[in-house]
Amino acid sequence: MRSIVVLHHFLCLLLLLSHLNSVSSWKKEEFRNCDQTPFCKRARSRKPQHCKLIATDVAIQNGDLTARLITPKNFEQNPDEDSSEIASKPLILSLSVYHNGILRLKIDEDPSQNPPKKRFEVPDVILPEFESKKLWLQRHTKEVINGDSADSFVVYLFDGYEAVLRSDPLEVFVREQTSGNRVLSFNSHGLFDFEQLRVKKEGDDWEERFRSHTDSRPYGPQSISFDVSFHGADFVYGIPEHATTLSLKPTNGPGIEHSEPYRLFNLDVFEYIPESPFGLYGSIPFMLSHGKSHGTSGFFWLNAAEMQIDVLAPGWDSESSISLPSDQKRIDTLWMSEAGIIDSFFFIGPKPKDVVKQYTTVTGTSAMPQLFATGYHQCRWNYRDEEDVKNVDSKFDEHDIPYDVLWLDIEHTDGKRYFTWDRVLFPNPEEMQKDLASRGRKMVTIVDPHIKRDEGYHIHKEASKNGYYVKDSSGKDYDGWCWPGSSSYIDMVNPEIRSWWADKFAYTEYIGSTPSLYIWNDMNEPSVFNGPEVSMPRDALHYGNVEHRELHNAYGYYFHMATSDGLLKREKGQDRPFVLSRAFFPGTQRYGTVWTGDNTAEWEQLRVSVPMILTLGITGITFSGADVGGFFGNPDTELLVRWYQVAAYLPFFRGHAHHDTKRREPWLFGERNTELMREAIRVRYTLLPYFYTLFREANVSGVPVARPLWMEFPEDESTFNNDEAFMVGNGLLVQGVYTQNAKDATVYLPGDETWYDLRTGTAYKGGKSQKVDASGAIPVFQRSGTIIPRKDRFRRSTVQMENDPYTLVIALDSSGKAEGELYIDDGKSYEFKNGAYIHRKFVFSNGKLTSVNLAMSTSAGPKFLSDCTIERIILLGHLTKSKSARVEPTNHVTEVELGPLQIRTGVRPSVLTIRKPNVKVSDDWSIQLL
Amino acid sequence: MKIRTQSFLSFIFCWMLILRSAVVLSEDLLGVAPQDEEYYRSVSSLGTIKCKDGSGTFTKTQLNDDFCDCTDGTDEPGTSACPTGKFYCRNAGHSPLSIFSSRVNDGICDCCDGSDEYNGKIKCKNTCWEAGKVARDRLKKKIATFQEGVIIRKREVEQAKVSVAKDEAELSRLKNEENILKGLVQQLKDRKEQIEKQEEKERIQKEKEEKEKKEAEEAKLKEEKVNVEEQESKESNPENEEKIHDQDLNKSPVDHDVELTHNDASHDNIEDEHAEKNEEPSKVEQEYNPPHENKQEDASEDSESLSREELGRAIGSRWTGKKTEYENDHHHDHDHDDDHDDDDHDDDTHEEYSGYDTENEEDHRNYDEDDTDDRMNDVGDASHDDSTTSHKYDSDDEIDMSDVENTSNPSWLEKIQQTVKNFLQSVNPFQTPVDTSEAESVRKEYDDASGKLSKIQSRITSLTKKLGHDFGPEKEFYALYGQCFEIKENKYVYKVCPFKDATQVEGHSTTTLGQWEKFDESYKVMLFSNGDKCWNGPQRSLTVRLRCGSKVEVADIDEPSRCEYSALLTTPALCQEGRLKELQDKLEAVNNKQPLGHDEL
Repeated sequence: MRSIVVLHHFLCLLLLLSHLNSVSSWKKEEFRNCDQTPFCKRARSRKPQHCKLIATDVAIQNGDLTARLITPKNFEQNPDEDSSEIASKPLILSLSVYHNGILRLKIDEDPSQNPPKKRFEVPDVILPEFESKKLWLQRHTKEVINGDSADSFVVYLFDGYEAVLRSDPLEVFVREQTSGNRVLSFNSHGLFDFEQLRVKKEGDDWEERFRSHTDSRPYGPQSISFDVSFHGADFVYGIPEHATTLSLKPTNGPGIEHSEPYRLFNLDVFEYIPESPFGLYGSIPFMLSHGKSHGTSGFFWLNAAEMQIDVLAPGWDSESSISLPSDQKRIDTLWMSEAGIIDSFFFIGPKPKDVVKQYTTVTGTSAMPQLFATGYHQCRWNYRDEEDVKNVDSKFDEHDIPYDVLWLDIEHTDGKRYFTWDRVLFPNPEEMQKDLASRGRKMVTIVDPHIKRDEGYHIHKEASKNGYYVKDSSGKDYDGWCWPGSSSYIDMVNPEIRSWWADKFAYTEYIGSTPSLYIWNDMNEPSVFNGPEVSMPRDALHYGNVEHRELHNAYGYYFHMATSDGLLKREKGQDRPFVLSRAFFPGTQRYGTVWTGDNTAEWEQLRVSVPMILTLGITGITFSGADVGGFFGNPDTELLVRWYQVAAYLPFFRGHAHHDTKRREPWLFGERNTELMREAIRVRYTLLPYFYTLFREANVSGVPVARPLWMEFPEDESTFNNDEAFMVGNGLLVQGVYTQNAKDATVYLPGDETWYDLRTGTAYKGGKSQKVDASGAIPVFQRSGTIIPRKDRFRRSTVQMENDPYTLVIALDSSGKAEGELYIDDGKSYEFKNGAYIHRKFVFSNGKLTSVNLAMSTSAGPKFLSDCTIERIILLGHLTKSKSARVEPTNHVTEVELGPLQIRTGVRPSVLTIRKPNVKVSDDWSIQLL
Repeated sequence: MKIRTQSFLSFIFCWMLILRSAVVLSEDLLGVAPQDEEYYRSVSSLGTIKCKDGSGTFTKTQLNDDFCDCTDGTDEPGTSACPTGKFYCRNAGHSPLSIFSSRVNDGICDCCDGSDEYNGKIKCKNTCWEAGKVARDRLKKKIATFQEGVIIRKREVEQAKVSVAKDEAELSRLKNEENILKGLVQQLKDRKEQIEKQEEKERIQKEKEEKEKKEAEEAKLKEEKVNVEEQESKESNPENEEKIHDQDLNKSPVDHDVELTHNDASHDNIEDEHAEKNEEPSKVEQEYNPPHENKQEDASEDSESLSREELGRAIGSRWTGKKTEYENDHHHDHDHDDDHDDDDHDDDTHEEYSGYDTENEEDHRNYDEDDTDDRMNDVGDASHDDSTTSHKYDSDDEIDMSDVENTSNPSWLEKIQQTVKNFLQSVNPFQTPVDTSEAESVRKEYDDASGKLSKIQSRITSLTKKLGHDFGPEKEFYALYGQCFEIKENKYVYKVCPFKDATQVEGHSTTTLGQWEKFDESYKVMLFSNGDKCWNGPQRSLTVRLRCGSKVEVADIDEPSRCEYSALLTTPALCQEGRLKELQDKLEAVNNKQPLGHDEL
């Protein structure tokens, strides 16, 4: 009898085990592939020259070039294989030109034709001030291209560039004025298709089923697709978020085994795998191309519906009659979206940074982060209670490891009711935050968009009473399932609801919050455990009768925006918000930070995190990072150490782990590993003045903090496809180490300049690959010709570093010159917008270092003052031996001696060091080597 | 006189020099520990000295000039200039402290004397006196705990010695008895078998006789009634065969009644098992493969068949690693079944805890920050609530030995021996017919003796097992054997049974956190490993840190990583005399350092 029971239990265990295995991997079949997505399947099957539309009634109206797109009579009798030909009402096209090389192309249904519904245009993404950058077109010129039967219309675009609307066949392109070479072109292969909204007729079966879910599709097919060609391109990049390489591999065409297109559909993907075109948590339909011949260009389609993008391999259109100059490399792409309109932007570049600047002119540059946010963040699902928090915090001090923010995941709440606390585990949240704040540290708590359907929960009560929830297709509050169980989702598209949400972050509303508490938005794809593809049904209804399908990819963006506004409101606009979001969309950079979601503790995931973050950077979101160590699973110690070493140079630096994993705080792996991780974190802190300056650069220009090599070396072809190394600003090259037991690493050092090893000061010649030591740290090099500001004193957190003196590291180029910048402000408020900041440019030439003011002179506004001095200046590559230096205007002489490059026990003094010049960082001064 | 004046003057001069240098040094030697003062003084005389790590040299002006010249921080003991340096605060009134140089002038008061914040950005109150008093009080309390604990420990060590000796003596006695008893049991068995054989013989003989008699009668009857119907004679045959069959069965070598019954019982069991087995598959299906688990198992396959809620739970459980509520419910059922089974089997592991007080509060103790070294080994504060309970678990050891272990009647064995001897002498095995009462008593005697033997053997097993444990160098942990200690934390009751196992009990559900593995870190830690496997995780384990305390109590329990538990157990076993001495010395040292007029002792 007993043995039976044992057997019984054993069977049960077996069942459990087998069931375990089946959940521990990416569930590919739970997500739709292109073949299961009718609009994608249709679009992919279309042949070149499918488009029969021509442009008519071309005119200049309100400063735009406008036209009507119609199907010529002779084609109307020939309905195609799909539904798009059924409705053949004309479409409206407009071309607008903006400052600095931006062309905007819009195509939508003609409102005068009374379509059943206005198609969705994504609001609140384009900067309000962008409209003011419009160049009002006055005239167009006509020309005939390739013996066309109809005219083409040419308008001025930018210095040396013009935009062309070719009416038959329909094509829009940008070309260089002098050479006539195309840069970007739209519908060059005739794949354009626009399914117009129709009224449902008897017999129309528009429903789509996927697994157990049915999409009612009350408006029928409404997808849009078209081809875009990047001329003179060697590679294309961008369109995050995919766990894949930086340069996008072709997904269709000759030599491509079956591949999915790059999917843009915000999804909560359990245990995503590296190296896949599969869609993840966020979507930015912005693609960049780069090539030796033209340089860089970009194409952005503002559309929030599901999108699929094919990168077509050369020769995909071999049967096509289109002939383009054969000496020009070209990459063709196919863009497909389920709904919305065409509102697209062509960025002409031609330099990599130009394209990013052009893109951020439309969608905004990244917000200036608070200084603390650029430090190290410690997170775990979950730090269980106040004692746990206290313990982890004190361990950092015990091991002299700096950190700035401690995070609390969902378990801190009362039953996953956000804005509440589990009072058993966290009886005194305010005291806890104040205690952390007494050492300069902040706390972040999680607030997700799913609201527990519990009549006793004030947020739910208000939201349901006011009708603030997203509705299901029948008009009732949509009821999905997430952490708290039965949940509804705040309809963040409505500005009024966003404002209501923002008010919930007031200290009086969010009980237990203090000014040192910041926010983390998770699950905002939105993640719905029992919804189709773990998300919301596409026929759910939002404010303004907008279907979820039309705005799905922007949902998380609006949520992020509302949360960020909430933090702004609670301090009356004085304190820069910090909000981390998992979902993102163009414009997210204005509201906060993103991370790459639930990655896994594997070497390949460390490897792929670099291109993922670089891609986010070049598509506007510079403040991003990956969970250090990998969220799922237990990293082996070496992987964890390497992860810290790489992540320390990436913009957002946070350790995080799933609750099933072992604790992995940096001091848990033996003294040697603690030392290595401490060192990695400390290097980050010493470089914070440099990082902060770069964040300011991103804030001003959109140029990311972490950059692909080709952004700094656009002429060096060896860099175009390199995504294992990256640049921090223009001055540091970081080579990741992504394999076990690596004693050394091979690094390609671009350009023909000299590079200095950051740890040893050893000089390496550029333009070739170098094998360097990688045993104790990953290889990092300073580029010659740059000056990098550091703070070499380690503190508990950024707050205590405020008054610490600076070190400048000058790496001289072959002509003995170098330049660098330093930006400082109060690190938290918006006073910098009124001029309260210090911005210096350091220039070294002819043995003399000069500090020049770059700040705009505002006599009236507030000033930012700093007593910080420069305690040490290190010169790399300086050939003449100097014994002393004269400091002006104080006219004192200071010593020059050999010192260590980095102050660590046992490091030999080996680099020329100006000792204690003690000039103030805010002042004008010069130092002449004697 | 002149000489005198001169020497006096030079004495004054020297004294002034010393005073002067003392003043200078006290400024320059900011952050220097007393034992290093000599090293730094040499700067004055030598002009330049070497960094401790040999990385360079520094001059007197470079000492504490807020610029790092030595990579090891030697030249900047009093500033934050060197990242690897240490700053020494004297903390008069409390204990001196060596802090990271990164704490110097960082706006946070780290030294209780405030000496680490001297740049005027923040004013630190001198809290050394208060802090010192708190520390001294704590130290005193700790000493008191130790004093109490040391006495208990001594007693326990003594007791353990006695007990172990007793156990060993008992073991050897039992082994001896086992030997004798084995012999007796064998003799009795032989005798019993003989008797039974004899009985059998007699019975067969008797039956044979009866049969013959009957056959004779029948034959007679046949002869008498010649005209009898054929059917009648045919019917009689099977009857006979049946009888023969019975006899055959009885002839099979049967040891004794008890064993026969046992065989029967096991046979029954096998039959039951068969019946169960036939039922089993459907039961498994029903219980362990319910529809919601199917979904859980692979939501992708069967999501169609799930309710919306079930689907939500299933998908969500991937991240949480938690079973859905259905499964939890199910799990409860399962546990309940478990208990039920245990009850059925009268399993002694599920003894009732009548002594367990559910009203106990969890013990939230705050450990002193700067006393981390001590707190792992010693109880800093014994004045916490009595939150734990203890009780014995070793009911499996407590076999009722009264009949074999009755000390007032030490001669039970002799008695048996005598009885057996008597039997063997008085009973003539070849006596015919067998004396039935005699046969009965042989059987009874045999049953008694073999019962006693098996009791002795199981006692031997448990004693051997017990004595096989490592009770520490002085057997100071002996007292913990057979004890369990409990603590209630939220909804769970944790039970730590040294040398056995540790469990977490929630209602009717019991989870094993680990089986006893060993002591670790020189008897400062108990390890329990190979507990129940976590869903989607490792096997549970528990690390119990031991500290000195006058009572044995579980002071704290925690799960720092999922399924890796840690607890704190106070026990007098950790109250070592040497450690007490150290603490007393420490207190004395602290008291001696007290500034005059402040010493409250």
